[in-house]
Amino acid sequence: MKELAEQATGNPAVEVQNLVKRYATVQAVNDLTFTINYGEIFGLLGPNGAGKTTTIRMILDIIKPTSGQISVLGGPMSEATKAQIGYLPEERGLYENMTLLDTLLFLGQLKGLSRRTARQRTEQYLHEVDLWEAHDRQIKALSRGMNQKAQFVAAILHEPALIIADEPFSGLDPVNTRVIKKLLYTMRDRGTAIVMSTHQMHQVEEMCQRILLIDRGRQVLYGPLQEIRQRFAGNAVEVELRGHVDQVPGVAHLNYANGSYRMVLEEGVQPETVLKTLVQCPDVTVERFAPVQTALDEIFVQVVGRSLSAEELPSAEIVVAGEERTP
Amino acid sequence: MRKIWLVASATYRERVRAGTFLVLTFGLPLLMVIAGAVPIFFAESDAPLPALGMVDESGHLTVPNQVTVDEDTVPIATYPDPVAAQLALDANQIGAYLVVPVDYFAGTPPTLYTAPDANARLERAFRRILRTAMTPDAPAWLLARLSNPATFSYVDSTTGTVVEGGVGRFSRILTPILLALFFGLLVFTSTSQLGSAIVREKDQRAMEIVITSLAPRQLVMGKVLGMALLSLTQVAVWLMGGLFALLLAFTGSFDLRQLSIPWPVVGWAVLLGIPTYFLYAVLAAGLGIIAGDSQQAQQLAGFLGFFGLAPFWLVGVIVGEPDGTLPLALTLFPLSSPMIALLRMAFTIVPRWQLMAALLLIVACLFLSIWFVTRIFRSAMLLYGQTLRPRAIWQALRTG
Repeated sequence: MKELAEQATGNPAVEVQNLVKRYATVQAVNDLTFTINYGEIFGLLGPNGAGKTTTIRMILDIIKPTSGQISVLGGPMSEATKAQIGYLPEERGLYENMTLLDTLLFLGQLKGLSRRTARQRTEQYLHEVDLWEAHDRQIKALSRGMNQKAQFVAAILHEPALIIADEPFSGLDPVNTRVIKKLLYTMRDRGTAIVMSTHQMHQVEEMCQRILLIDRGRQVLYGPLQEIRQRFAGNAVEVELRGHVDQVPGVAHLNYANGSYRMVLEEGVQPETVLKTLVQCPDVTVERFAPVQTALDEIFVQVVGRSLSAEELPSAEIVVAGEERTP
Repeated sequence: MRKIWLVASATYRERVRAGTFLVLTFGLPLLMVIAGAVPIFFAESDAPLPALGMVDESGHLTVPNQVTVDEDTVPIATYPDPVAAQLALDANQIGAYLVVPVDYFAGTPPTLYTAPDANARLERAFRRILRTAMTPDAPAWLLARLSNPATFSYVDSTTGTVVEGGVGRFSRILTPILLALFFGLLVFTSTSQLGSAIVREKDQRAMEIVITSLAPRQLVMGKVLGMALLSLTQVAVWLMGGLFALLLAFTGSFDLRQLSIPWPVVGWAVLLGIPTYFLYAVLAAGLGIIAGDSQQAQQLAGFLGFFGLAPFWLVGVIVGEPDGTLPLALTLFPLSSPMIALLRMAFTIVPRWQLMAALLLIVACLFLSIWFVTRIFRSAMLLYGQTLRPRAIWQALRTG
């Protein structure tokens, strides 16, 4: 953990530059550039077939890129690097005839743990995910949810510096989702870099600090989640107040619904100006004033739901301040 | 090496619990033991021998009044013709009778008349009667020696080395044939098992997890080693079952201590067999990687395993001309080397240079196969349910 803390102060855990993967007639990944930091949960998003899994597999050196550079945990992939990565693939499965304990011991030892440490960690994590009672059952005798938790344990058993989890919550009930989430937060707090690829946008909103949204292999959104949501919200605020307003200076449109006003501001008008105006109104008491944040679901549909032409795409790409890449 | 061993050990432990393995491993020797025991149940009988009858039409025999078989003293009655003997048999005065024909000494065999469920020791008893009847004045030691024919010690006149004769010679011919047959069967069964083990790894989606911990070469080698250990377990069980069955079947027929093992033949079987086995295993793993599903993997690997048994179709050619061009070519062809070389060893002395050349070719092919399979592995391992097409194979070989 000390090592992780040191790493967290330095370079990113993963650095991808101009990554391209081309198959015979398909451009699976087209010029992706992004970084993943230690101690963050990074959302890798995109519709089915966008190139997420291909990107993950290239990061893990399972498939080779056509061009571009990938640096993982400070350099190119090596045997030592592999031992520092935990992977929960989308297409997952374990050896059906082996017992749960044997399977986890095997996978833990493959990651460089001694048999004794692997045994201790297996016991510890199986207790944490409430699976210890099934440790001597064959994998084929486990339920889908149990299998899912077992594979998650396999991905974190060696306490890696980088975890890549493809749809980590699929097949889990709310209780088990919470258990896995807790483990992911613990790992993040220890400094582990976590990449989470999922279609469950509410999980991304809750857990991820930054996201990368790709569509048809191209990068369409990249940066801190909060800033992306604000950017998509436009210049609008949501206000709850006692009293009634029909017109507010600096507000272009005003709607009232479900006990709150949604005010779209005129171009160039700052939210603070509108707040000041409202506070100064004698018959009005402001109870809540916040910039509108668009749900990630909506952003996803807005960006991916429409068919973007190649010419259109750069203008749709949102790169948030602080990032080097420009449209 | 540690990771290869871990994969091998996990593969072994997973497969050894599979029902098909248990049935195949223990079912076959069980059948062999049953087959070995059958003759004992039918041939051996502890029932006392009945009185026996003799009809000497040759007129040259001096039939004794009694004969001793396994400490049983059996009375013998002589009859002038078969009709009288048959009457005595019908009256249960005797249990069987032997008619020795007029031209018995010219080679015509005698005829034994008996009930269908006759005592298995009858034949031995009549042989003893015939020996005694032909040499009435011979002392007991001479009769004892005659009942235990000589075994010959063969010496190669060109080299002066002792070559076994009799049962020893029999084992010298039989050992390489059995070893070849055994190896062929081993290859045939384990290639399809390995092919389906690899495709099962793809089907179970475990490969994508495992491959992030080790190199494709380590995974392939681990799988091959694990399956080889599994085959060794199978071989050990089969061998023990086979030996037990052999002991059951031949105990009492001849002295098993006279069997001698031709160690140079066994040595070459091991030297050629082990790398060839791994060659088959690596190729079977490759076919499992290329295959789209378990059925296709078994078909492809089964086709490969067919090479293990194909040499036995050529037994006629090998017996007729063991040093001919075709047997020589097939000795040098890595997939058939051990089987053909061993079959030839039963009938000729295979020159050492041919065996050395075969060994070199097998090892070279093994390394080439490992390279080939690990190159295509990366491209094919994630094609769930899809077959790797020739173009993709070519692409994989070029780019890795």
